[in-house]
Amino acid sequence: MERQCLCKWDMSSKDWKSAISELLKEFSFKTTTENLLQTALETRELAEPTVVHEDIAIPHCRSILVDDFMIIIGKSEEGIPWPEEKVTVIILFITPVKPSGPSEHMELIKHIAKTLRSGGADKVLSAVSPSEAASILKFSYEGNPEND
Amino acid sequence: MIKELEKLISLHDLDVMISDLANKDISKQEKKLGLSPDSAAERLQKMRSKLALTIDRKYRDLYDQLASHYGNAVVPVVNQLCSGCFTQLPTAFCASPERNDQVETCPSCGRFIYWCN
Repeated sequence: MERQCLCKWDMSSKDWKSAISELLKEFSFKTTTENLLQTALETRELAEPTVVHEDIAIPHCRSILVDDFMIIIGKSEEGIPWPEEKVTVIILFITPVKPSGPSEHMELIKHIAKTLRSGGADKVLSAVSPSEAASILKFSYEGNPEND
Repeated sequence: MIKELEKLISLHDLDVMISDLANKDISKQEKKLGLSPDSAAERLQKMRSKLALTIDRKYRDLYDQLASHYGNAVVPVVNQLCSGCFTQLPTAFCASPERNDQVETCPSCGRFIYWCN
Protein backbone atom coordinates (compact mmCIF):
# COMPACT_ATOMS: atom_id res chain seq x y z
CA MET A 1 0.00 0.00 0.00
CA GLU A 2 1.79 3.11 -1.25
CA ARG A 3 -0.17 5.61 0.79
CA GLN A 4 1.64 8.44 2.52
CA CYS A 5 1.06 9.14 6.18
CA LEU A 6 1.98 11.65 8.81
CA CYS A 7 2.95 10.72 12.36
CA LYS A 8 2.46 12.51 15.66
CA TRP A 9 4.67 11.08 18.34
CA ASP A 10 4.37 12.00 22.05
CA MET A 11 0.76 13.13 21.86
CA SER A 12 -0.28 15.34 24.76
CA SER A 13 -4.08 14.84 24.60
CA LYS A 14 -5.83 13.45 27.66
CA ASP A 15 -9.12 12.43 26.04
CA TRP A 16 -10.26 11.02 22.70
CA LYS A 17 -11.87 14.22 21.36
CA SER A 18 -8.72 16.25 21.99
CA ALA A 19 -6.67 13.46 20.46
CA ILE A 20 -8.68 13.63 17.22
CA SER A 21 -8.24 17.40 17.23
CA GLU A 22 -4.50 17.13 17.91
CA LEU A 23 -4.07 14.77 14.98
CA LEU A 24 -6.28 16.78 12.59
CA LYS A 25 -4.20 19.89 13.27
CA GLU A 26 -1.20 18.13 11.72
CA PHE A 27 -2.90 18.31 8.31
CA SER A 28 -3.21 22.12 8.43
CA PHE A 29 -6.77 22.18 7.12
CA LYS A 30 -8.69 25.43 7.04
CA THR A 31 -10.60 25.98 10.29
CA THR A 32 -14.06 25.18 8.92
CA THR A 33 -12.85 22.01 7.22
CA GLU A 34 -11.03 20.92 10.38
CA ASN A 35 -14.14 21.54 12.50
CA LEU A 36 -16.40 19.61 10.13
CA LEU A 37 -13.99 16.68 9.97
CA GLN A 38 -13.73 16.73 13.77
CA THR A 39 -17.53 16.52 13.94
CA ALA A 40 -17.63 13.63 11.46
CA LEU A 41 -14.95 11.64 13.28
CA GLU A 42 -16.52 12.31 16.69
CA THR A 43 -19.91 11.22 15.36
CA ARG A 44 -18.43 7.93 14.17
CA GLU A 45 -16.81 7.38 17.58
CA LEU A 46 -20.05 8.19 19.39
CA ALA A 47 -21.80 5.55 17.32
CA GLU A 48 -19.14 3.04 18.32
CA PRO A 49 -15.63 3.57 19.70
CA THR A 50 -13.19 2.32 17.08
CA VAL A 51 -10.87 0.47 19.44
CA VAL A 52 -9.81 -2.45 17.25
CA HIS A 53 -7.09 -4.06 19.27
CA GLU A 54 -5.99 -3.66 22.81
CA ASP A 55 -4.34 -0.19 22.83
CA ILE A 56 -5.17 0.80 19.21
CA ALA A 57 -7.99 3.04 17.92
CA ILE A 58 -8.77 3.75 14.27
CA PRO A 59 -10.98 6.87 14.01
CA HIS A 60 -11.98 7.09 10.36
CA CYS A 61 -14.53 8.39 7.90
CA ARG A 62 -15.07 9.22 4.24
CA SER A 63 -15.71 12.87 3.53
CA ILE A 64 -16.36 15.26 0.67
CA LEU A 65 -14.06 17.72 2.44
CA VAL A 66 -10.87 15.95 1.38
CA ASP A 67 -9.66 15.17 -2.12
CA ASP A 68 -6.94 12.72 -1.16
CA PHE A 69 -6.23 10.10 1.49
CA MET A 70 -5.38 11.65 4.86
CA ILE A 71 -3.63 9.21 7.17
CA ILE A 72 -1.86 9.92 10.44
CA ILE A 73 -0.45 7.63 13.10
CA GLY A 74 -0.49 9.03 16.63
CA LYS A 75 1.34 7.67 19.64
CA SER A 76 0.83 8.45 23.30
CA GLU A 77 3.09 6.98 25.94
CA GLU A 78 0.59 7.67 28.73
CA GLY A 79 -2.39 6.32 26.82
CA ILE A 80 -5.64 8.11 25.97
CA PRO A 81 -9.04 6.93 27.28
CA TRP A 82 -11.10 5.96 24.18
CA PRO A 83 -13.41 6.66 26.01
CA GLU A 84 -12.78 4.02 28.67
CA GLU A 85 -10.10 1.68 27.43
CA LYS A 86 -6.78 3.45 27.09
CA VAL A 87 -5.13 3.40 23.69
CA THR A 88 -1.51 4.26 22.96
CA VAL A 89 -1.62 4.12 19.15
CA ILE A 90 -4.17 5.91 16.98
CA ILE A 91 -4.43 5.36 13.24
CA LEU A 92 -6.67 8.15 11.94
CA PHE A 93 -7.69 8.16 8.30
CA ILE A 94 -10.07 10.14 6.13
CA THR A 95 -10.74 9.08 2.58
CA PRO A 96 -12.32 11.13 -0.20
CA VAL A 97 -15.82 10.58 -1.56
CA LYS A 98 -15.29 9.69 -5.21
CA PRO A 99 -17.80 9.03 -7.99
CA SER A 100 -16.28 5.55 -8.28
CA GLY A 101 -17.66 4.64 -4.84
CA PRO A 102 -16.09 3.43 -1.62
CA SER A 103 -13.75 0.78 -3.08
CA GLU A 104 -10.53 2.62 -2.15
CA HIS A 105 -11.84 3.25 1.38
CA MET A 106 -12.66 -0.45 1.65
CA GLU A 107 -9.20 -1.40 0.41
CA LEU A 108 -7.59 0.78 3.07
CA ILE A 109 -9.69 -0.76 5.87
CA LYS A 110 -8.91 -4.21 4.51
CA HIS A 111 -5.20 -3.40 4.41
CA ILE A 112 -5.21 -2.11 8.01
CA ALA A 113 -7.27 -5.07 9.25
CA LYS A 114 -4.98 -7.56 7.54
CA THR A 115 -1.80 -5.87 8.80
CA LEU A 116 -2.99 -5.61 12.40
CA ARG A 117 -4.32 -9.16 12.47
CA SER A 118 -1.12 -10.63 11.09
CA GLY A 119 1.12 -9.46 13.92
CA GLY A 120 1.29 -5.81 12.95
CA ALA A 121 -0.66 -4.67 16.01
CA ASP A 122 1.98 -5.75 18.50
CA LYS A 123 4.75 -4.44 16.26
CA VAL A 124 3.17 -1.00 15.83
CA LEU A 125 2.56 -0.77 19.58
CA SER A 126 6.24 -1.35 20.23
CA ALA A 127 7.49 0.86 17.36
CA VAL A 128 10.07 3.33 18.63
CA SER A 129 9.91 5.87 15.81
CA PRO A 130 7.38 7.36 13.37
CA SER A 131 9.13 5.84 10.37
CA GLU A 132 9.10 2.39 11.99
CA ALA A 133 5.35 2.63 12.74
CA ALA A 134 4.66 3.79 9.18
CA SER A 135 6.78 1.02 7.77
CA ILE A 136 4.96 -1.67 9.82
CA LEU A 137 1.66 -0.41 8.41
CA LYS A 138 3.25 -0.25 4.94
CA PHE A 139 2.72 3.47 4.51
CA SER A 140 5.39 5.87 3.37
CA TYR A 141 6.25 8.36 6.09
CA GLU A 142 6.00 11.99 5.00
CA GLY A 143 7.70 13.44 8.04
CA ASN A 144 11.16 14.71 8.73
CA PRO A 145 13.58 11.80 9.40
CA GLU A 146 15.19 13.98 12.08
CA ASN A 147 12.01 13.50 14.12
CA ASP A 148 12.80 9.80 14.37
CA MET B 1 -19.22 29.26 6.26
CA ILE B 2 -22.92 29.64 6.97
CA LYS B 3 -24.22 27.19 9.58
CA GLU B 4 -26.89 25.74 7.30
CA LEU B 5 -24.27 24.78 4.71
CA GLU B 6 -22.10 23.19 7.41
CA LYS B 7 -25.11 21.11 8.50
CA LEU B 8 -25.76 19.99 4.92
CA ILE B 9 -22.12 18.89 4.58
CA SER B 10 -22.34 17.05 7.92
CA LEU B 11 -25.58 15.41 6.79
CA HIS B 12 -23.87 14.27 3.60
CA ASP B 13 -20.88 12.88 5.54
CA LEU B 14 -23.28 11.03 7.85
CA ASP B 15 -25.12 9.54 4.88
CA VAL B 16 -21.79 8.38 3.46
CA MET B 17 -20.88 6.73 6.79
CA ILE B 18 -24.26 4.99 6.99
CA SER B 19 -24.05 3.74 3.41
CA ASP B 20 -20.45 2.56 3.96
CA LEU B 21 -21.49 0.53 7.00
CA ALA B 22 -24.31 -0.99 4.94
CA ASN B 23 -21.81 -1.96 2.24
CA LYS B 24 -21.23 -5.71 2.51
CA ASP B 25 -17.48 -5.58 1.86
CA ILE B 26 -16.78 -2.68 4.23
CA SER B 27 -18.99 -4.23 6.89
CA LYS B 28 -17.07 -7.50 6.57
CA GLN B 29 -13.71 -5.72 7.04
CA GLU B 30 -15.00 -3.71 10.01
CA LYS B 31 -16.18 -6.95 11.63
CA LYS B 32 -12.73 -8.45 11.07
CA LEU B 33 -11.36 -5.50 13.03
CA GLY B 34 -13.69 -6.36 15.90
CA LEU B 35 -16.13 -3.51 15.26
CA SER B 36 -19.92 -3.79 15.11
CA PRO B 37 -21.00 -2.00 11.92
CA ASP B 38 -24.69 -2.91 12.23
CA SER B 39 -25.20 -1.33 15.63
CA ALA B 40 -22.99 1.63 14.67
CA ALA B 41 -25.16 2.20 11.59
CA GLU B 42 -28.30 2.17 13.71
CA ARG B 43 -26.87 4.80 16.06
CA LEU B 44 -25.68 6.91 13.14
CA GLN B 45 -29.16 6.75 11.63
CA LYS B 46 -30.60 8.19 14.86
CA MET B 47 -27.98 10.96 14.87
CA ARG B 48 -28.80 11.66 11.22
CA SER B 49 -32.49 12.05 12.02
CA LYS B 50 -31.68 14.48 14.84
CA LEU B 51 -29.35 16.55 12.63
CA ALA B 52 -31.85 16.60 9.74
CA LEU B 53 -34.50 18.09 12.02
CA THR B 54 -32.26 21.09 12.72
CA ILE B 55 -31.98 21.94 9.00
CA ASP B 56 -34.38 24.38 7.36
CA ARG B 57 -37.22 22.34 5.85
CA LYS B 58 -36.74 23.71 2.32
CA TYR B 59 -33.08 22.70 2.28
CA ARG B 60 -33.81 19.36 3.92
CA ASP B 61 -36.46 18.46 1.35
CA LEU B 62 -34.21 19.55 -1.51
CA TYR B 63 -31.33 17.57 -0.01
CA ASP B 64 -33.48 14.42 0.10
CA GLN B 65 -34.63 14.91 -3.50
CA LEU B 66 -31.07 15.47 -4.74
CA ALA B 67 -29.67 12.56 -2.73
CA SER B 68 -32.29 10.20 -4.07
CA HIS B 69 -31.78 11.45 -7.65
CA TYR B 70 -27.99 11.73 -7.80
CA GLY B 71 -26.74 9.81 -4.77
CA ASN B 72 -24.82 12.90 -3.65
CA ALA B 73 -26.57 16.14 -2.79
CA VAL B 74 -23.60 18.29 -1.74
CA VAL B 75 -20.45 18.73 -3.81
CA PRO B 76 -17.38 20.97 -3.74
CA VAL B 77 -16.54 23.49 -6.45
CA VAL B 78 -13.14 22.63 -7.88
CA ASN B 79 -11.47 24.97 -10.39
CA GLN B 80 -14.80 26.75 -10.89
CA LEU B 81 -16.44 23.45 -11.87
CA CYS B 82 -19.34 21.87 -10.03
CA SER B 83 -17.80 18.51 -9.10
CA GLY B 84 -21.21 16.87 -9.40
CA CYS B 85 -21.98 17.63 -13.06
CA PHE B 86 -18.62 19.21 -14.09
CA THR B 87 -20.32 22.30 -15.44
CA GLN B 88 -18.26 25.49 -15.44
CA LEU B 89 -19.84 27.94 -13.02
CA PRO B 90 -20.26 31.59 -14.06
CA THR B 91 -17.23 33.70 -13.17
CA ALA B 92 -19.31 36.24 -11.29
CA PHE B 93 -20.78 33.44 -9.25
CA CYS B 94 -17.35 32.16 -8.26
CA ALA B 95 -15.94 35.61 -7.60
CA SER B 96 -18.70 36.51 -5.18
CA PRO B 97 -17.33 37.56 -1.79
CA GLU B 98 -20.25 35.75 -0.23
CA ARG B 99 -19.06 32.31 -1.26
CA ASN B 100 -20.03 29.83 1.47
CA ASP B 101 -21.88 32.61 3.31
CA GLN B 102 -25.14 31.50 1.76
CA VAL B 103 -26.54 28.20 0.61
CA GLU B 104 -25.92 27.95 -3.14
CA THR B 105 -26.91 25.35 -5.69
CA CYS B 106 -25.32 24.53 -9.03
CA PRO B 107 -27.25 26.39 -11.78
CA SER B 108 -26.97 23.30 -13.95
CA CYS B 109 -27.63 20.20 -11.81
CA GLY B 110 -29.11 21.85 -8.72
CA ARG B 111 -26.79 20.16 -6.21
CA PHE B 112 -25.71 22.14 -3.16
CA ILE B 113 -22.23 23.50 -3.76
CA TYR B 114 -19.51 24.85 -1.51
CA TRP B 115 -16.05 26.25 -2.03
CA CYS B 116 -13.15 24.42 -0.41
CA ASN B 117 -10.95 27.47 -0.01
